Amino acid sequence: MFAEELKAFRRLGVRGILVQLLNFASVIASGLMMWKGLGLVTNTESPIVVVLSGSMEPAFYRGDLLFLTNPPNTPYRTGDITVYKIPGSPIPIVHRILEVRGVNRKSSKSKAAMAKEIVDDEKGAVLRAVENEPEVEQLLLTKGDNNPVDDIDLYNGLDWLERRHVVGKVRGFLPYVGYVTIAMNDFPKLKYLILGVLGLFALIQRE
Amino acid sequence: MAMLAAIALSSFVLIATPKGELSLASIKVFPGSSRRLPNVKQDFAFVNFNLSADLTPLFHWNTKQLFLYLQAEYVDSKGVPNDVVIWDSIVRRKEDAVINVMGRNKYVFRDLSRSFRKAQPANYSLRYNLMPYVGVLTYGEAGRSSEPVSFPDPETVS
Repeated sequence: MFAEELKAFRRLGVRGILVQLLNFASVIASGLMMWKGLGLVTNTESPIVVVLSGSMEPAFYRGDLLFLTNPPNTPYRTGDITVYKIPGSPIPIVHRILEVRGVNRKSSKSKAAMAKEIVDDEKGAVLRAVENEPEVEQLLLTKGDNNPVDDIDLYNGLDWLERRHVVGKVRGFLPYVGYVTIAMNDFPKLKYLILGVLGLFALIQRE
Repeated sequence: MAMLAAIALSSFVLIATPKGELSLASIKVFPGSSRRLPNVKQDFAFVNFNLSADLTPLFHWNTKQLFLYLQAEYVDSKGVPNDVVIWDSIVRRKEDAVINVMGRNKYVFRDLSRSFRKAQPANYSLRYNLMPYVGVLTYGEAGRSSEPVSFPDPETVS
């Protein structure tokens, strides 16, 4: 049954198999590089996420793919759909911003002092970076389109979301494609099957 | 793939700027307390509004739904901006895209300082989020109150 495959292996030789393994590794490495590079450009730790729950229906269904960005100096606005992670709960949540409350930055005075010091040192570039930071921090309240009430009970005791909790803002949408990962999570055997088949193909295919 | 990309890119060409009308019928402030903080007295604002807008031009072949929301924008006693969504609605069909609503706020409208006394007059705007079948999400404004509306003093309840 496996005679032909074995023959193929033998024809490859040790060197051939090693080359195939190297190809395999480089595919994985370049995938990882692209993911991290995308993360750098969009300023989020995960630029692409899969919707896992129905709390944003009928906008997003389970398995839809979302593309995120999180530009550092752009304030959030109501109606933006954010992906946020609350400390202590591992699963990120995709919900829409209902309230944006400005609060004056607590360290605003020390910042002014800091800016002055930098002027004395004649480091203009650094000063500009400090000045560009928004004066006002934002407190956010979110709600899922399909939920009757806001998310305050999901915040694990926090009263408001802050920028540091937000992974990114949804900018683009691609339906259904992410369902593969949900299926792999729901049926772990499928994951091993797919990985196994892909791995076998990568090893056997010559060129 | 190419077709998906073409559809997604077509959204950049199919741009519409609908105009709607938004006016406030009344705004009242009442003292009360929330379910979360039952022992804390705070003021709640109640807004009645009239809204009419024709959003049919926003429905093109890549429009899955519109998320419509009415927000209050005001500067609070600390001098910082606050945006609060007080009403929202989802429009899924072109036939339902002519909006005529006499409504009141759907969500709790309160201030961080627990009182609107020192808050500056608020502007109200109707905004929309166009959600596509595939591609980018776009936002826009479809109406705005003609002038800022100040918060009244809280009314006493017996």
